[in-house]
Amino acid sequence: MAEYDLSKTIIPYLDRHLSFPLLAHLAESKLFSDKEVTAAQYELAKGTNMFDYAVNLFEQLYPDQEVPAEFDEKRKNAVSTHERLQQEAQAVLDVIENPDVAQALRQDKNQNLLYLKDNYNLTLDQITALYNFGQFQYSYGNYSGAADYLYHFRVLSTDNDLNTSAHWGKLASDILTGKWTVALEELNTLRESIDSRSAPSVLLSSGSSTAEPALMQLHSRTWLVHWSLFVYFNYPQGRTLLLETFLSPTYLNTIQTSCPWILRYLTTAAILSRKASALPSSSSTPISSRVRNAIREVVKVIQTEEYQYQDPVTSFLKELYIEFDFDAAQRELARAEKVVADDFFLGEFKEEFLDNARYLISEAYCRIHQKIDIADLSKRLNLSRDEGEKWIVNLIRETRMGADAKIDLEKNVIEINRPPLPVYQTIIEKTRGLALRTQALGAAAARSGQQSSGVAKSEALSPTVAVK
Amino acid sequence: MSRFFRQAGDSDSDSESSDDESMSSGAEDVPQRPLAPAKQAPGSMSRFLKTAGSDSSDSDSDEDSDSDSDAPPPRRPGLPTVDDSDDDDQSDDDAPGVRIKSASERRLDEMKATGKVIENGLKINDWVAISNEFDKLARMVQRQHNVSEPVPPFYVQTLVSLEGSLNTAVAKEKEAKKKMNATNAKALTAVKQKVKKALKEYEAEVKKFQEDPEGFEREYSAIVAPEPTAPGRRAATQVPDDNVSDDFTTVGKGGKVMQFTSEGIFKNLQAVQEARGKKILTIAQNTDRAEQIRILEKLLEVAATSYQRIRVLLALISSRFDYNSSVSTHMPIELWLHAQREVDQLVSIVASDGNYSIQEVTDDYDELVERSPATEGGVVRIRGSIISFIDRLDDEFTRSLQNIDPHGTEYVDRLKDEKGLYCTICRAQAFYEKTKQDEPLGRVIMRRLEHIYSKPNAVVTALEAAADASEIQPGMILSVQGTTTALIHSLCVYLYRSGNSLLRTRAMLSHIYHHALHNEFYTARDMLLMSHMQESIHSADVGTQILYNRTVVQLGLCAFRSGLIKEAQATLQEIFTTQRVKELLAQGVHQQRFQILTPEQEKAEKQRQLPFHMHINTELLEAAFLVSSMLVEIPLLASIESDELKRKTISKPFRRLLDFADRQVFTGPPESTRDHIMQASKALQDGDWEQCRDLIQSIKIWSLMPEAAAVKEMLAERIQEQGLRTYLFTYAPHYSTLSISLLSRTFSLPVNTVTSIVSKMIWNEELSASLDQSGDVVVFHRIEPSRTQQLAQTLAEKLAAMVDQSEKALDAKMGGASGWGDRTDGTKGDKRGEQAQERRGRGERTRGARGGARGGRGGRFSQGLGNQMPGQRAQAAA
Repeated sequence: MAEYDLSKTIIPYLDRHLSFPLLAHLAESKLFSDKEVTAAQYELAKGTNMFDYAVNLFEQLYPDQEVPAEFDEKRKNAVSTHERLQQEAQAVLDVIENPDVAQALRQDKNQNLLYLKDNYNLTLDQITALYNFGQFQYSYGNYSGAADYLYHFRVLSTDNDLNTSAHWGKLASDILTGKWTVALEELNTLRESIDSRSAPSVLLSSGSSTAEPALMQLHSRTWLVHWSLFVYFNYPQGRTLLLETFLSPTYLNTIQTSCPWILRYLTTAAILSRKASALPSSSSTPISSRVRNAIREVVKVIQTEEYQYQDPVTSFLKELYIEFDFDAAQRELARAEKVVADDFFLGEFKEEFLDNARYLISEAYCRIHQKIDIADLSKRLNLSRDEGEKWIVNLIRETRMGADAKIDLEKNVIEINRPPLPVYQTIIEKTRGLALRTQALGAAAARSGQQSSGVAKSEALSPTVAVK
Repeated sequence: MSRFFRQAGDSDSDSESSDDESMSSGAEDVPQRPLAPAKQAPGSMSRFLKTAGSDSSDSDSDEDSDSDSDAPPPRRPGLPTVDDSDDDDQSDDDAPGVRIKSASERRLDEMKATGKVIENGLKINDWVAISNEFDKLARMVQRQHNVSEPVPPFYVQTLVSLEGSLNTAVAKEKEAKKKMNATNAKALTAVKQKVKKALKEYEAEVKKFQEDPEGFEREYSAIVAPEPTAPGRRAATQVPDDNVSDDFTTVGKGGKVMQFTSEGIFKNLQAVQEARGKKILTIAQNTDRAEQIRILEKLLEVAATSYQRIRVLLALISSRFDYNSSVSTHMPIELWLHAQREVDQLVSIVASDGNYSIQEVTDDYDELVERSPATEGGVVRIRGSIISFIDRLDDEFTRSLQNIDPHGTEYVDRLKDEKGLYCTICRAQAFYEKTKQDEPLGRVIMRRLEHIYSKPNAVVTALEAAADASEIQPGMILSVQGTTTALIHSLCVYLYRSGNSLLRTRAMLSHIYHHALHNEFYTARDMLLMSHMQESIHSADVGTQILYNRTVVQLGLCAFRSGLIKEAQATLQEIFTTQRVKELLAQGVHQQRFQILTPEQEKAEKQRQLPFHMHINTELLEAAFLVSSMLVEIPLLASIESDELKRKTISKPFRRLLDFADRQVFTGPPESTRDHIMQASKALQDGDWEQCRDLIQSIKIWSLMPEAAAVKEMLAERIQEQGLRTYLFTYAPHYSTLSISLLSRTFSLPVNTVTSIVSKMIWNEELSASLDQSGDVVVFHRIEPSRTQQLAQTLAEKLAAMVDQSEKALDAKMGGASGWGDRTDGTKGDKRGEQAQERRGRGERTRGARGGARGGRGGRFSQGLGNQMPGQRAQAAA
């Protein structure tokens, strides 16, 4: 199944540090040889300040070789840098942690800066030390520390470029420490800042700011999409949020243009949140229609992007909803099961995925068929006969199909009897929204009328004022 | 002097000979003739007058000169009255010298006086006076004309200037708030008409005058002035005569031919260049230009230094391009070939020697001085523009192709020259790459791209092979890039990077076209959609719009070839709805029924036409469009029960044709492509897919499509599927169950496919039926709505449509979607979504997991998407 492994495609869009968990997962999943994975890990670690880890890996990789001396040197360097940076940062921290200061700080960053400068002689350069120290800490793996420093820096600094950079750094630190709630917040603010700004250098590397802003935005979005996978697949309600984000037009465009492989995650999330859409009243927060119709939308996207990307997960949906080839869908499901199990992000959701996928199959199947052989359906669901029967009974009970579907044990079939939709109901459905829409229309018309008459009035008033 | 007298005193025979002489000296010397008879003795004169009629009536200054030596001639009774004045003149003046002068001169003076009055009148805007004076002038000229004297330049000059001031006066009058008084205005119109008439009458003279005022004057004076001194006259006339004739044959440089040396080059060059500016439309013009070219060619041979060669080449190429005027449609091919070779030469000189550079804007320099890198202290800059030569060369090539009959061998021969042209372009590209001139480089790359983007691989390979052979090569060539697609990609990428937005747009369209040509539908489609071209194409120039149309059409064909029927239909739809396919693709001029194009429009239209070898076959295009329309429309038609809904059409042109075919009483065997498709549609409607397939496959035009066999295969498959769908729609009411195996047999489709198609129809609620797995049959549930129910349904739909319309209207009125649309759309969508969800919950409770939630937001969304792609093409090339 190695051909469906996405690690290789995804890693280029991740930070060095974020790739470690992925590689660790690869080592576990045994898709590639241990040696290769360790070599990759070593290459990664070499570029960071995590020397012990790197040395460790080196020893694993080449047990009979001497550890290169450069590590020692680097370590010394790093330690000294650490101390220097810490001193610089500490000065700032001392000031900030002073309760008086905390109280005096306001929303306005410029004023804050002025205040700090006047009272504590704190300049912008010193504050930048916070950033440097945070970055350094991150580079040797002290993520929580890095997150702290970067947070403080962001509160104070007015430098846009560095701020965004700090944003990304903070997000990565939060992800790596596993603080999903915080990470989610961070993710959302970052997303806002990307969406709101078309200015260049939104990206980590501000070196390529010569590129067009639109291109930069696309890049940042692509990165955001990849990073957010960590958050969305770990946060409890993450899948719904993922659908909400990824199905919004801008991000859907991003996915379609620059990273179609994300479709796998989108598809899985859509399948996983099937329950959420089926039982709307259960969740306290209202879900947008986007999530509710997720599957349909995703199918549309899969169809258009088929030429660019397909894997068992997407072809499962395609076979089910575009081709209506249940045999093929079942085959794809079997393959998708493996793919999902092996995927770093999706591994934990394998059972849930299967469950939902089966549900989707049976739903579609029941809708199309009138009389279904239980044995046949069980086979389609990759279940044994007894299991299948149990599953179907549950399905009927759960989904309130009871009124329509009956099991005929003698012949071993399910009979589904769906009366056609009465005419009056179709008419009710058709006309339901009209009143509301007309109201909205009326309101809008009235509002515009008011505006224009308001303008007219003020114009009428102005001459009298002038006369006075 | 003595000679004259001798002549004058001589007998008839002598005068005869002089007559002959004057005859031989050419048509323009006609006025010379009168002097011969004038010198004759009175007796013979009268004879002459009698015989020669009005022609002989010219009593000229010569006659006067005669009259002093001879006795005054007797009264000539048969003469026209006009001559009386002449006679009066004669009798008035006694002294021969004075009299000679005054005879013609006085008339001239008179005219001048009149002209002065006219001028004054002009100044004070007194048109009544002008009118009178002009009449007078016209009369005088008429008289002069009657005496067969040439029209004096003064008159022509007055005419021309009067015309100019008339035009301004009329224009001013139009604008002026205060109108002239009635008489004045009337006079103005009168003058206008008179001048017009006069201009017409003396068209030739005026033209000549405008072209060369001095020449005209000289000519006139040559004829008129020197007569008084008779012996001197001969010599005098002779000299200007020579000048005149020289002007038209050898440019007076016959003597200088010997001086073609490298030293004299600049002088010669300058002379030629000066001549260039002056020479205008005369009959002799082309021989004149040919002469110039010959001189330049000779100069090129003797040119010694690079600087000289560059200068001569620059002049030579431009005069080659100047050679033909607006009269002929395109440049003679011979000349074009020369020009092409010379451009090559020029490019290679400049490319090989970096010390010379040709620029459009340079500092002034002395044209007559030899310059070299040494004297200039570095790079020698010469005024000129290679890129404009290349542009011109390419344009002329296209123009010649436009005007050559595409079915003759000449066309094919001409096409062969493209190779050379392509090489030239490549060479220029290499040169600009080397000298890093971005602006012309972009243009030259665009030219190159235009030569290859629409061509199949084999042709591009051939062109590239030719370009490979040349000594200097550009950075992007086929042998480096590997495939044509890669080559075009690299060319386009360069243009995308360059700042010029027009070139970028054109490059993008060409790139898309190329992808479409190579059956990469998705890539092409994505590029087209991502470029957002359809939003801005309206503001583009016509050429780009045509390119856009071509691209879109090619995309449609590409979709058709790839079996994406729906996409093909949607893409081709718009251009076919206009019914002006040929015009929109610039492949023919549209016959306008209600308006007549002005000649200029027609000319512009003609210039826009694509040369034949670039055409996209419209018949093939139509076949593709109609077949895909058939495959989309026929099942749709079958699925609609009520007549009310039948009005909703997807493809109007197709529906129109179908209706027309339906009305026909007798249908013969199909002949045209349309006939085939219409009969096939009918067969498909009847569920007779085999006949439909046969009819479609027997269309001859498919052979023009690449991989025709595969396309036919694909069509057969689609026909089977759509046949099944149509069959189900049409005959569902008559069955309660249908066996799947029967369906599969009837349409010779595998059971799986049949099941899949039926399932799809059920899922999409197109067919109210369900599958019975145990019996492998389709069970139809059909309810026949009562009349009331039907009406209620229609009403509901109309209501919905009305609300939609009002929303759209409000949207438009509020100016764009940014107004209320956005805000309320969000809330509305949510609300509707809520309802849908609620509804669905209920639906599930009552009748299982029925999809529900159709329409609502989804409908809105798809509506939005649907509008994205088309909508813009219609007027694109209007």
